[in-house]
Amino acid sequence: MAPALEVCGARGDDRGVTETTVVLVLVVVTALGFDFTNGFHDTANAMATSIATKALRPKAAVLLSGMLNLIGAFLSVEVALTVTNAVVKIQNSSGAPKPELLEGGGSALLLIVLAGLVGGIVWNLLTWLLGLPSSSSHALFGGLVGATIAGLGWAGVNWNGDGSKLDGLVGKVLLPAVMSPVIAGIVAAAGTWLIYKVTTGVAQRFTDNGFRWGQIGSASLVSLAHGTNDAQKTMGVITLALIASGDWTDTKTIPLWVKVACALAIALGTYLGGWRIIRTLGKGLVEIAPPQGMAAESASAAVILVSSHLGFALSTTHVATGSILGTGVGKPGALVRWAVAGRMVAAWLITLPAAAVVGAVMWWIGHLVGGTFGAIVVFVILVALAGYMYLRSRRTPVDHNNVNDEWDAEPELAAASKEG
Amino acid sequence: MHNFGFALEGAWKVLVAGLILGAGLPTLFALGVRSLAYGAGGSASGAPARPIGTLLGWACFAVVLLGVALGITFIVAGGFGKALSFEHIYPTVVDKH
Repeated sequence: MAPALEVCGARGDDRGVTETTVVLVLVVVTALGFDFTNGFHDTANAMATSIATKALRPKAAVLLSGMLNLIGAFLSVEVALTVTNAVVKIQNSSGAPKPELLEGGGSALLLIVLAGLVGGIVWNLLTWLLGLPSSSSHALFGGLVGATIAGLGWAGVNWNGDGSKLDGLVGKVLLPAVMSPVIAGIVAAAGTWLIYKVTTGVAQRFTDNGFRWGQIGSASLVSLAHGTNDAQKTMGVITLALIASGDWTDTKTIPLWVKVACALAIALGTYLGGWRIIRTLGKGLVEIAPPQGMAAESASAAVILVSSHLGFALSTTHVATGSILGTGVGKPGALVRWAVAGRMVAAWLITLPAAAVVGAVMWWIGHLVGGTFGAIVVFVILVALAGYMYLRSRRTPVDHNNVNDEWDAEPELAAASKEG
Repeated sequence: MHNFGFALEGAWKVLVAGLILGAGLPTLFALGVRSLAYGAGGSASGAPARPIGTLLGWACFAVVLLGVALGITFIVAGGFGKALSFEHIYPTVVDKH
């Protein structure tokens, strides 16, 4: 690369190509990083209940979920190139980038995508640090919306669609976010209530073993569906970046290496497991018994699959949380910690705007610094923030050894109760 | 607020189908567990084994497994650009429109 830079005065085109390549590599790496956080943020959706009820050992649960995510990601042959169209206007309906964003080797589009991805990752890591199960798709869409507002103005956002179908930020993201946890909660509550009705008086050795298998099966379905749905989004974003920089032209297929890299990133993230979030969902929200675990995961699997069948986009996280809350409501006398639920809902509400603010700030930083160096600065900020949050998490580590500890024995609560 | 109408339309369908599959199948599973326990007889009370219970139990599990198979078929078919059609009542795999 060095000789090309030396003669760049004479061959301006070459310089443009090289600089775009650097930015493109940063976008791809950042997108895979997002996919990875998507994986470990969402392990809890499928496996928190099975881990909490000890249907599976923690390590076995994350291994199973990781493998099913890997398989699921490879099953998504369908092209998800138009994934950003739901919220922002940087692509045509065919999936090709808007021509006006392609001047200068696609750098305008690449910066928006990079800033958006950084917004998504930063918010995913912060909520993970706080042990809050927020939606990865909301973080990604929020980041993209913020970066687009900064780069193209308010008109660059697809707020409401064109009125012909459920579309836009309101239709594809906000309304499903409000409705899906309620639906999942009702289904899980009904399932839990019925299961307890049916099995009253049955010897525990039958129920425990039976519901153990029921939980493993239903949680596996959720993992598989997660791999198919979520890995696709990153595959679409990376392919969009490749098209913008001129390294890929086909809007009907995705390069094989993109598919393999995304599948591995989400599976590895799932395997590492966001233990802090698993703990909140499995132990913090509701004390879960095996029949409840099965009811919750069955409700999640059914709601996710039915709604994607009907083209009703929703967040796995919102569904899983709604189901677990529902299963606490459906079991008479079960303990539901509404304070924990309230914190989660608050996190959901601010996920999209907060990721949008980060995305917008990153775009401005990248734009002010300018060019390839601007993109590098944005990337370095991401690495620094991620490193800081990782180090911060080491102060109170949560892993497969203490994920199931009693919730009320948390240090600060224990200290408070001693004082009281 | 056209989006609100579309969303409500989708939501009640998801709720109905979700209740049938997401609450119905687990209930059937629970019935299966109960039947198996009934079939094995009460070990404490010394009641004899009842094969009909065992049979019913496994029949319940078979229906639940069919439901799960339907779910997996949907995921796999969706990945290959196919969809499940219920126009003949029983599900068939068709090309996605």
